[in-house]
Amino acid sequence: MVFARVVLLRALWASATLLIVSFIIFSAIEILPGDIAARVLGRYATEEMKAEFRRMRGLDRPMYVRYGEWLYGVVQGDFGDSLVSEFNVGEVILPKLKNTFLLALYAFILYIPFSIILGSLSAVFREGAVDTFLSTLTLIGLSIPEFVMGTLFAFIFGVVLGAFPVVVAINMAQSFGEAVRMMTLPAVTLAIAMAVYAIRMLRDNLIEVLDSDYVRMAILKGVPLPRVVLRHALPNALVPALNVTALNLAYLIGGVVVVEKVFAFPGIGTLLIDSVFLRDAPVVEGCALIISAVYILANLFADVMTVVLNPRLRTAR
Amino acid sequence: MTSSAATRKFVTRAELGKSLGRVRRLPWTLVLGSVLLTIYILVAITGPLWAPFPYDRIGTGKPFAPPNAKNLLGTDQMGRDLFSRVVHGAGHELFLALTSTALAVVLGGFLGLLSGFVGGWFDEILMRLFEVLISIPVLVFALLVIMAAGLEASGNEWLLVGVVALVWLPRTGRMARSVAIDLVTRDYVLVARARGESAWSIVWRELLPNATGVLLVEFGVRAGYAPILIGSLGFLGLGVRPPTPEWGLMISENRANLVAAPYTVLAPALALSGLVISLNMFTDGLARVLGRQVKRF
Repeated sequence: MVFARVVLLRALWASATLLIVSFIIFSAIEILPGDIAARVLGRYATEEMKAEFRRMRGLDRPMYVRYGEWLYGVVQGDFGDSLVSEFNVGEVILPKLKNTFLLALYAFILYIPFSIILGSLSAVFREGAVDTFLSTLTLIGLSIPEFVMGTLFAFIFGVVLGAFPVVVAINMAQSFGEAVRMMTLPAVTLAIAMAVYAIRMLRDNLIEVLDSDYVRMAILKGVPLPRVVLRHALPNALVPALNVTALNLAYLIGGVVVVEKVFAFPGIGTLLIDSVFLRDAPVVEGCALIISAVYILANLFADVMTVVLNPRLRTAR
Repeated sequence: MTSSAATRKFVTRAELGKSLGRVRRLPWTLVLGSVLLTIYILVAITGPLWAPFPYDRIGTGKPFAPPNAKNLLGTDQMGRDLFSRVVHGAGHELFLALTSTALAVVLGGFLGLLSGFVGGWFDEILMRLFEVLISIPVLVFALLVIMAAGLEASGNEWLLVGVVALVWLPRTGRMARSVAIDLVTRDYVLVARARGESAWSIVWRELLPNATGVLLVEFGVRAGYAPILIGSLGFLGLGVRPPTPEWGLMISENRANLVAAPYTVLAPALALSGLVISLNMFTDGLARVLGRQVKRF
């Protein structure tokens, strides 16, 4: 069971990473505890009031003690209370996380056919006009920052054409269809940002497979080209591209922060940025930890996928 | 061009054809990328001399004036000249992106090569640390560094350079280390070791020259992504402060007026995307010439 051991080791390392990351997050945010008291109490607070606030909140104790307490709460699902709204951080984050998950899912559903179709076209017509056009387009695509792309989409499709709302108030959606329509612009932005990598990757893989003997054999046998691509070449080219997809999944959770902010989408990214400016430390910690945890999980998934899909790696280590 | 051609003052048609042919054999992405980058750099250096207005002069025209002879790209909400702001922005953008990336590649490259050469527990600990740092999403990591430095300090350009450099450092470090691992088994490194050369001298004289290609491509990839990160931070209000003419910040400031004055957003958006496109084209071309692969993940 070499394979099981590899997966188990990777999973253990991922948990250790998450633990260290949690410490980095906590210490980065709580390194300046004075800020929190000043922020919450306002500018007219006296030194005594600040000291009292710190004592009440337990901010006057050493950082490692507070970290230990925080971590103890986190593993039980308690992220502490928000400094601004007095709600529990879990209650604040959960609905936003659900929204973000829906957006990410939508983006992912758009991303898959988009990359497969364009990647295959690029490979089949390689070095031709279509390929040159697409590779120029993907190079431009990966050079345009997400917030620029999102803003441009909002301008073209939201303002000029009026086809989609510019501000995504997902909680106001009356029906499923309306929710989908609302989320289309941010989802398309995210899908394109991911697809540009996948298209390039799939193109290169597919070209390699199309040059292989069994594909040449199939063509010589007289199998029609679309069938050769779809049945013979594509399944084998998709295997390495799956790794990019898993990495894209990891990107998605980070990239969503900026795109959400562009469309004022009530997700975890918007919450994170807003809480940074409100100096709502417990919420920032919770958001940062959850985003990092999903990111680490997605990377673990990518690692395991690589091992699963490439039998040679199963015995190598 | 050869020196003899320069002293003769005239360039014969054959010679011109020859040098043109040499340029034509280079990947077109490298040629176009270099030309565009040169333009950006020229604008960045000379721009402040010929830009029609200072970047923070308000009331150079009516607010939201459309493009006209006086304000080539129109004006923003405060009547500041958009063209001048975009031109002034080039210097900020290039300074921030190139300084931070250079810092990361030099430090990361050195640490990575040393780590790969020294090996043992030093290598183990450093690489584990890098791995942990890489497993925080880029934007969240940048956010954490800014919060640790204090939000009040976030407008400082040197802090921003430090943030981006710190975000790239573990990534470039790991890249350099993977090269070093491959290089240390080569004969010339073994010979240098047998000669009794110090670790410093081996990293400097044997490893570095052979890792330059990879590090150059790595520099290109990171430099291409740096304006995106800096722009994103500016857009989120965590980068440089107004009235600094940073393009991401300008997009964020003028977004609410997109309908009334689309140029106020489109101009910095185009300038920012154009910079990243030229950096990426340059890197792609460079990688092809050096026979390297561009790894963007």
